[in-house]
Amino acid sequence: MTTGIQVRDLRKDFPVRDRGLFGPRTAKTAVDGLDLDIPAGRITGLLGLNGAGKTTTIKILATLLRPTSGTVRVDGLDTVADARAVRRRINLIAGGERMVYTRMTGRENLWYFAQLYDVPKRQVRTRIDDLLALVGLTNAADTPVERYSRGMTQRLAIARGLVNDPAYLLLDEPTLGLDAPIARDLRRVVARLAAEGTGVLLTSHYLAEVEELCSHVHVIADGRHLAAGSPAQLKTATGSHATVRVTVPNPSPAIAEVAARFGATRTPADDGAEVLTLRHPDDIAGPLAAAVVQAGGSITALDITEASLEDAILTLTDRTARTEAVPA
Amino acid sequence: MSGLRPALRIFAAEALKQHRRLFGQPLVVFSMLVWPVLQLATTYYTLRPVATASPAAAHWPLSADPHRLLAFLATGTLAYAFFFSLVQSAWHLSFERTTGTLELLFLSPAGRLTLMLANGAGALVQNAWLLTCFTAAALLGFGTLSVAAWWMYGVVILALLVPAVAWGAFLNSLLVFSRDSAFLYTILDEPLWFVSGVRLPNFALPAAVRVIGTAFPLTASLTAIRGALLNAEPLSALAPTLTWLTALSALLLAAAALLLRVGEARSQRTGRLTLI
Repeated sequence: MTTGIQVRDLRKDFPVRDRGLFGPRTAKTAVDGLDLDIPAGRITGLLGLNGAGKTTTIKILATLLRPTSGTVRVDGLDTVADARAVRRRINLIAGGERMVYTRMTGRENLWYFAQLYDVPKRQVRTRIDDLLALVGLTNAADTPVERYSRGMTQRLAIARGLVNDPAYLLLDEPTLGLDAPIARDLRRVVARLAAEGTGVLLTSHYLAEVEELCSHVHVIADGRHLAAGSPAQLKTATGSHATVRVTVPNPSPAIAEVAARFGATRTPADDGAEVLTLRHPDDIAGPLAAAVVQAGGSITALDITEASLEDAILTLTDRTARTEAVPA
Repeated sequence: MSGLRPALRIFAAEALKQHRRLFGQPLVVFSMLVWPVLQLATTYYTLRPVATASPAAAHWPLSADPHRLLAFLATGTLAYAFFFSLVQSAWHLSFERTTGTLELLFLSPAGRLTLMLANGAGALVQNAWLLTCFTAAALLGFGTLSVAAWWMYGVVILALLVPAVAWGAFLNSLLVFSRDSAFLYTILDEPLWFVSGVRLPNFALPAAVRVIGTAFPLTASLTAIRGALLNAEPLSALAPTLTWLTALSALLLAAAALLLRVGEARSQRTGRLTLI
C-alpha cells in the first residue's frame, strides 16, 4: 500500500451564478492542476497569498470538498470513493474560535467527538485526559467552553482535532489569534506528532512558524503550483539574499568607489553620514566592512538581515503576476 | 463505521449534546410541560361548550363525555409535541452551520443518517418525556383509557416513536443543508395541528384537508394511538393504519437517506456547507 497523501493534477472549480437567481452559471477555478506529496512523519507547508487556494486544497484533502478533476489518495485510499475510510485517518484543525460546542465542557466536547469517531471505548477516558493535558486544559476540563478565553477555546479545538489519533493532520492557520506562548506550545506539539509519524500539512500566515516547522514547503498562487523545496532551497531559488547595511559617518570618493565595486547602493543618513546597502547571496559583510576601513572610512553601524521565507514567497508570487501581466 | 454499537454511541453523544445545548436549563424543563398544557387547556375550554352540545355529540359521540374529550385532546397534544419537537430540533441543527460545528459532523466518519436519527431522537426524548408522564398520569387518573390488551401500550409507543424519529430524520436531512430554514416553523406549526386532526376528529375536516393529512405521519400516528387507547381497538382493526404508518416511516427514512446523499454531494461540489 502506498503511504502518505498524494495529490495529482487536482482541480477545483466552484459554480458561480453571475447575475441573480436565474443568471448564467460560470466556474471559478480555485485550484488548478496541483500536485502535492505529504508523507507520513513530516510537516509539509502549503504557502500562498490570500485566495491562493490553500483552504480549498485542505478541504478537498479532508473530504469536505470534492475535486472537479484529479485525484487525492490518502494511504492509497481515494478521498471520493473511500471517503469514510479516509475520514478515520485524517483530521482538520482550523484557526479561530468556532468548531466546538460552547455549552458543553471541554471534556464533554472531546467525549462527543470520540463517539463520532468510534474511538475504542477503553481508550476514550485516557485519550481525553492525555489531550486535555497536552493542550493545558486539565484544570478547565469540566468548565463549559462558553467560559473559556479565546486561546483556551482554540486549544480545545486542537485537542478535538487529535481525538481520533489521526495519521494525517491538516492544519489551516492553527495559531491564528493565539498568544505567543500558546502558539509556541502548539508548534512543539505539532513537531512531536510529526516525530512520532503523523503526516502534517500546515498553512500559516506566520512564515517564521512555517520556517521553524516545515522541512518541505509548497508555494501556490491562483490555485497553481509555483515551487517546492525546503525553506532554504526556496530562498536560494528565488534569489532572496541577505541584506548588509554599513553606516559610514565620513563618506568620501574612496568610499563611493568601494560601494561601486561591491554594487552597494548609497543612501544619505543623518549628520552627513551615508548608508551602504548590499543584497548578496554570500556572506559579504566582512569583506565590505574591511574595504570601507581600507578606504579610510569608519563604521558606526553594521546590520545584517537574513533573507526570509516571506521574501521568497513574495518574489515567487510577484514573478507569476508579472508573467501573467505580459500580453501573449 | 457501521453496525449497532457505533450507532448507539452516536445516539448517546447526540443526547448529551442536545441536553447541554437545548434542554439543560430549568426554565426549558418548565416550558416543556407548561406550554403544551396551556395549549391543551385552551383547546379544551374552547371546544367543550360546542362539542358536548347534543347536535355535535350526535356526530361525535366521544365528545359528549368531557373526560373522553379531554383524553382525545391530550393524546393529540402529546403526539403533536413529539412531532413538533423534531421541527425544532431540525431548526436548531441548522444553527450548527453558524457555529462552525456542522462541518465537523461531516468531517467525521459517522454515518450521516445515523447522525440525523440520533439528533432527532435525542431532541424527542428530552422534549417529550415530561409531557408524556403528565399525559399518562392524567389519562390513568381520569379512567378514560380503554385498551384491548396490555401489549397494545407497546404498539402505541411504537406508533408514536418510530414515525416521529423518521419524521425527525427527514426534517434534519432537509434542513441541514439549508441556510434559510426559519420558514418551516411557520409552515409546520399551525398546518400540522390542522391537517393531522390534533384538535378535531378527521371526519370533521374537509376532504381535501384529509387527503393532505394522510401525507403527514402524525395523522396516522394519532389515529392509531386514539384507536388503541380510547376505543380499545385490537391490532387487527388498526392494521391498515399501522401498515400505512410503517410505509410512511420507511418512505421518510429513504427520503432522508437520499437527501443526505444528494445534499452532501452538492455541498462538496459548491462549498456551501460553511456559508452562513
